[in-house]
Amino acid sequence: MNKDSLKHILKKFLSLIPMLILISIVIFGALQLTPGNPLTYQIPPELLSSSTFDLEAYEKAMGLDAPVYVQYFRWIWNILRGELGYSLVSGAPIVNMLRTRLPATMELALCGILISSVFGICLGILAAIKQNTLLDYGCTALSVLAISIPEFFMGIIGITIFSLKLGWLPTGGRLVYGDNSFGTRLAHLILPAVVMGLALTGALMRHTRGSLLDVLTRDYIKTARSKGLSERKVYLKHAFRNALIPVTVLLCFRIPGLVGGSVVIESVFGWPGMGGMLLDAISGKDYPVVMITAMIIAFVTLIASFLADLFTMLLDPRVDIER
Amino acid sequence: MKDDIILQVENLHTGFLVDNVPLEAVSGVSFSLKAGRVLGVVGESGCGKSVTAHSIMQLLPKYGRITEGSITYTRATGEKIEIQKLRRTGNQMRQIRGKEISMIFQDPMSSLNPVYPIGDQIAENIREHEKVTKREALDRARKLLEDLEIPSAAERLGDYPHQFSGGMKQRVMIAIAMACNPRILIADEPTTALDVTIQAQIIALMKKLQREHGTSIMMITHNMGLVAEMADEIAVMYMGRIVEYGSIRQVMKSPAHPYTQGLLKAVPVLGMKKDRLYSIKGSTPSLVDRPAGCEFASRCEYATEACRQVPRAVEVEPGHQVRCWNYKEATDNG
Repeated sequence: MNKDSLKHILKKFLSLIPMLILISIVIFGALQLTPGNPLTYQIPPELLSSSTFDLEAYEKAMGLDAPVYVQYFRWIWNILRGELGYSLVSGAPIVNMLRTRLPATMELALCGILISSVFGICLGILAAIKQNTLLDYGCTALSVLAISIPEFFMGIIGITIFSLKLGWLPTGGRLVYGDNSFGTRLAHLILPAVVMGLALTGALMRHTRGSLLDVLTRDYIKTARSKGLSERKVYLKHAFRNALIPVTVLLCFRIPGLVGGSVVIESVFGWPGMGGMLLDAISGKDYPVVMITAMIIAFVTLIASFLADLFTMLLDPRVDIER
Repeated sequence: MKDDIILQVENLHTGFLVDNVPLEAVSGVSFSLKAGRVLGVVGESGCGKSVTAHSIMQLLPKYGRITEGSITYTRATGEKIEIQKLRRTGNQMRQIRGKEISMIFQDPMSSLNPVYPIGDQIAENIREHEKVTKREALDRARKLLEDLEIPSAAERLGDYPHQFSGGMKQRVMIAIAMACNPRILIADEPTTALDVTIQAQIIALMKKLQREHGTSIMMITHNMGLVAEMADEIAVMYMGRIVEYGSIRQVMKSPAHPYTQGLLKAVPVLGMKKDRLYSIKGSTPSLVDRPAGCEFASRCEYATEACRQVPRAVEVEPGHQVRCWNYKEATDNG
């Protein structure tokens, strides 16, 4: 890695900022379009409809009478200062809600990604090397199962077998009160992470297998063999790196889904993550929470696409990150 | 050492399993490559020239198999190795591949790994077969590139294939093939994918290397001009068989097989006063329903009843063989 490419990476990273601003404007704007005034959700209807109630004074006090762009800048400024506002439903500071939820989600997502990339890629390589053998067919069948069986079903089966029948793992939750040891945390994490990773494992396995088989038909593989290289070197040095390029892109673009869309897994395992919080916020019309969560998911998505660019650039010298 | 046979191919049959049906792409090919000589193998696309080359290197695709015959390689020590008996990915085959017999492929655009610098790709071949440090190997790679007249070779070692033009990539491929100073170089249509001007340069470079190192070359091509320029001997292939085989003078001067005659007539000559270039009528039959008897009969103007039987190789003159029932008529009229 030379100085030039480091500069390119930095440039690419800085270009995320305008994207983020754009997204924040869209999110803020979309919320302005929603019907009703946020205050009307907080004030009892009897009070709101009484003749003595002065809605405008409240709006003024809350800063809702200011022009939209002023409100936007105020919102952004507050976010930057770490003042994320308060939940309309519980009145709790959003920062406090995120303080426990965000790490829980990240923990689960990272473990899911780790499990699926290790198993998905390894099995994919194995299936490609042993193409059209029993092993290949077995891996393919398993991956189709993993992709097609819904997560909640997998989760319930997992809990039934490993928690209820065998009693090896807890049925749900993240922590045990008063016991913060690594062992208990890990025990709670295993089932949800495996279930979350299964579908992605299947997808990555299929993708790795296909990509590797495609690469193995390329002429440069024949060149590698014509040098007298061992099959191991042909696969691991010449084929694998080329095959990995599309796989990392797929992996990166699945990350946002794991962070924002793990509602099902969270509810099956009682995992206190962002998904459940988002669901509650949407159904309770808790707009400040929705906005912040949307911003976080958008941010993760941007980071993921940056990572996809970065990995592609590191793996493939033909890609110039500037373009 | 001259005229010592270094590679002897005897009655080679190579087939592929297509939808579990075996198809024979090479049906009984025999030829020999002499030390320090160039053998040209000509024929149109799909005639089995590449399959023959890949059989020698044991680089056939998964479903390709040598079903009959032998490929005997004679080492510098005089030891004879029957290549078809070696395991494809086994140690012995790997020691020969790239070190003693190496190969250049048709399309230089796709023959280099896009994700590694070309210096590493050349050095890799050296490091696979010889105990040298990476630095020494890279230094030899640089020398090879200089021999192949690549400008500022030292700086270009770190460049990636996409930073090279087609002709330059083919030079890199030649550098990889020549890296361990092999005794046999198989060039599978090395200039087909290149511009005409670049073709001439590549051929000149190959001739230079051949002179300097005394490498035996098996040159596969459908370019008659190229064969005439480089080869000492020529084998003309049609539908998986060698239909004519002899020294370049014998075959070019008095081609005996109607197919060879057709190929030679189809070469445009400067100042030619014809409106249309000659072409052999019809097209190559499919391997799936191979005609019985002589496969060229349906396209041949000299075809007779006798051509329903597969012709045997006949010696026209010493060292000049032809596989045709009616070669006498063909020679007289052609």
